[in-house]
Amino acid sequence: MKVAANIGPVLLVAAVTVLSVVALDLRAQQTGHATDFTTTEYWEPPHQQKIKSVLSGAEAQPQPGGLLIIKELQLRTFALDGKPEMIVTAPECIYDTLAGTANSAGPLQLQTGDGKYRVSGEGFLWRQTNQLLTISNQVRTVAQYGPNKH
Amino acid sequence: MKRFILVAAIAWFNLAAGAQTNTTGTLPVSPRLTLISSDQGDFDLAGHEAIYRGHVRVDDPQMKLTCEQLIADVPQGGGHVNHIVAETNVVIDFIDNKGQTNHATGDKAVYVYSEQGGVTNETVTLTGNPQMENAQSTLTGDPIVWDRQNNHLSATNQKMILRQNLSGLAAGTNAPPPEKTNLPPGPVENTDTNVK
Repeated sequence: MKVAANIGPVLLVAAVTVLSVVALDLRAQQTGHATDFTTTEYWEPPHQQKIKSVLSGAEAQPQPGGLLIIKELQLRTFALDGKPEMIVTAPECIYDTLAGTANSAGPLQLQTGDGKYRVSGEGFLWRQTNQLLTISNQVRTVAQYGPNKH
Repeated sequence: MKRFILVAAIAWFNLAAGAQTNTTGTLPVSPRLTLISSDQGDFDLAGHEAIYRGHVRVDDPQMKLTCEQLIADVPQGGGHVNHIVAETNVVIDFIDNKGQTNHATGDKAVYVYSEQGGVTNETVTLTGNPQMENAQSTLTGDPIVWDRQNNHLSATNQKMILRQNLSGLAAGTNAPPPEKTNLPPGPVENTDTNVK
């Protein structure tokens, strides 16, 4: 249980941050088509010089009805000390800017910055309003605890 | 960064894992991998709760757990995973600190961890026709409470079946009878109090 004591809940907070950032950034992108885009969010003052998250994608394509298709999504979040916290990747997702949801029938992967905890699944729905992430199929978590190999 | 709520389920492994930490620092300890799989997962990022649904399976070098639903509450601020509930057709196969394989079943298993005043409480409560079985005995009762910190097992309305190895008697030897009491992982006693 000692290990479990250290692995904690903070990823929840991180995940909230991650997904919120996605939403905000996607809103910014919905006005036009973008390729190989990267958006960076900084921490609030007095740490405004430090990167909080980097959202990148191969393509962001606006669709009718307030939808936005994001391809090769990658979101990286960072702690105040610059250490990577979480990486979220999805080959493709549809973000509904009106409903505040993101979904995909494809895979989703989450992992902590140290790579020790990795979650994957097929098909996901994220609801921004209640901050609920549902992975629909083949949820698989691999957790490594104990010393690093390197 | 701190870790993921999903890792909450790791606590289950630690229920049976025992101390595998290298306390002497002389031997390398390999990192251990834990796999949690399920059909579906709901992660309440605001409520700090992870729910695995459908064919939930937890695999660890020292324990395997299967159930239909596993809910893990995770405290805010990076504290210890303090509450995990496994429900419906719960099956736990684990190796106790004597190296003995145990098989536990029940409708529900609740893991609770708390620290108060420097005292750590850590229990697993099996309910719903629970049963714990190993090579020597079978224990039934409802609930069956496993006090992990004190390595103590208790059950309400317990019934224990001991299995004797009769091979020596069949061979006509004068070998002493095998030890009858070897219930993992600690003493078994009747308790009249209900367990929350």
